[in-house]
Amino acid sequence: MTETTIPRGNTLPRIRPWLGIAAAASFVVASVMALFWAPTDAVQGDVYRILYVHVPLAWLAYLAFVIVFLASVGWLWTKRPFFDAVAVASAEIGVLFTGLFLVAGSIWAKPTWGVWWTWEPRLVTTAIMFVMYVGYLLLRGLSTDFSRRATRAAAFGIIAVIDVPIVHLSVLWANSLHQLPTVLRAAGSPALDSSMLLTLMVSLFAYTLIYTYFMTSRVSLERARQGRLWTRI
Amino acid sequence: MIDRVALVATRELRAERRQPDGVVAAVTFIAVLVLLESLVVGPQIARDADVASALFWLALAFATILATMRSFDRELEDDALEGLVALPGGRDALFGGKVLSLTIVLLLVAAIGGLLSLVLLDLPVALPIHLIVVVLLGVLALPPIVVVDVVLALRLRARAALVPILALPVLVPQLVAATRGTSAALSGDAVGALSWAGLLFAFAVVYTVIGLTIVPAAIE
Repeated sequence: MTETTIPRGNTLPRIRPWLGIAAAASFVVASVMALFWAPTDAVQGDVYRILYVHVPLAWLAYLAFVIVFLASVGWLWTKRPFFDAVAVASAEIGVLFTGLFLVAGSIWAKPTWGVWWTWEPRLVTTAIMFVMYVGYLLLRGLSTDFSRRATRAAAFGIIAVIDVPIVHLSVLWANSLHQLPTVLRAAGSPALDSSMLLTLMVSLFAYTLIYTYFMTSRVSLERARQGRLWTRI
Repeated sequence: MIDRVALVATRELRAERRQPDGVVAAVTFIAVLVLLESLVVGPQIARDADVASALFWLALAFATILATMRSFDRELEDDALEGLVALPGGRDALFGGKVLSLTIVLLLVAAIGGLLSLVLLDLPVALPIHLIVVVLLGVLALPPIVVVDVVLALRLRARAALVPILALPVLVPQLVAATRGTSAALSGDAVGALSWAGLLFAFAVVYTVIGLTIVPAAIE
């Protein structure tokens, strides 16, 4: 075989610059709202503003690993290389955002709890999720054959997603220092001031755009790599 | 299906009986850890129900990894894996048989290691029947996920380091449940012990189903 058998889509490269501009613009808007527009918290003061970084990072970590799971199912089901490209891209970005999520949490913990790190369920389960997806990337890195690597990684990507609900619900299952869910509450409406909630929603939107931009770039890169791989066969 | 699983499990147990290096390594590993524990943290802390239970289950998790890797190494040394996988239904039977045989081997390891812990640490057991139920279900909950991870890391370099990295984070809920259940049984909390035992049974069922779904697709 001398030609690539992978259809190359042209949509991603076309929209990527616009996506980058939208992500950067929304990030600026979200940052201005978080730093200047949102009111100061009555208990924590200005320290709480890290919430507008911490919560979107947590959301992206969950989203990234759920995407890894869906793409893994897609690969095992169809064996289309596109799904493997999505899985690896989302896993790498997920590891990055989970790392930042832990760092942001640690920075917030110091002034509020008095320590950089404490052995409480949310922190520990998040750190475990981080290690789990580092393991996923290690598994990929140690496999050389494309198809085997994708299959092994997909199988692990399906198993590892079980940790995502465990991380989110750990604060409900065990006595935790971490605050309970504020937005997605079983009790009903979010326990946040309306302007704080709006700022948080804008931040979530901005960070999701950043994730999407990173994804389109990384998926394109992986597709190009797969294309080179297949032309060599 | 059940016949094939039983066939693989019997073959596995026969191989383990002829060359019991997996069991010996696992039991020795637990014994070394129990001895080290009382030396490192002191006998008073080592006898604490929570500490002793946590160490026992951590040791058993590593022992599961050791025994599973040894079991697959034996297949690779004898070039037996390809033949087994090529048989009709061989992949399901491979997973089911390995899990079944490892569960039986680990029950033996847990019994010896558990008795060793009880004797060496002089642990009082408030609810012996509950303790047996927790250990039995805890042992059921460990092998499915370890077998999946060993299959995923098969023939990879640095496999010895990779398998614990993949398996231990996924085993966290099982290890927490088993440790809490054992501690509850040792200290006389019957309801707690049975609740954790129920959770362990659920983990065993869920991961066996996941393994049966994934391993046939993942094994090359």
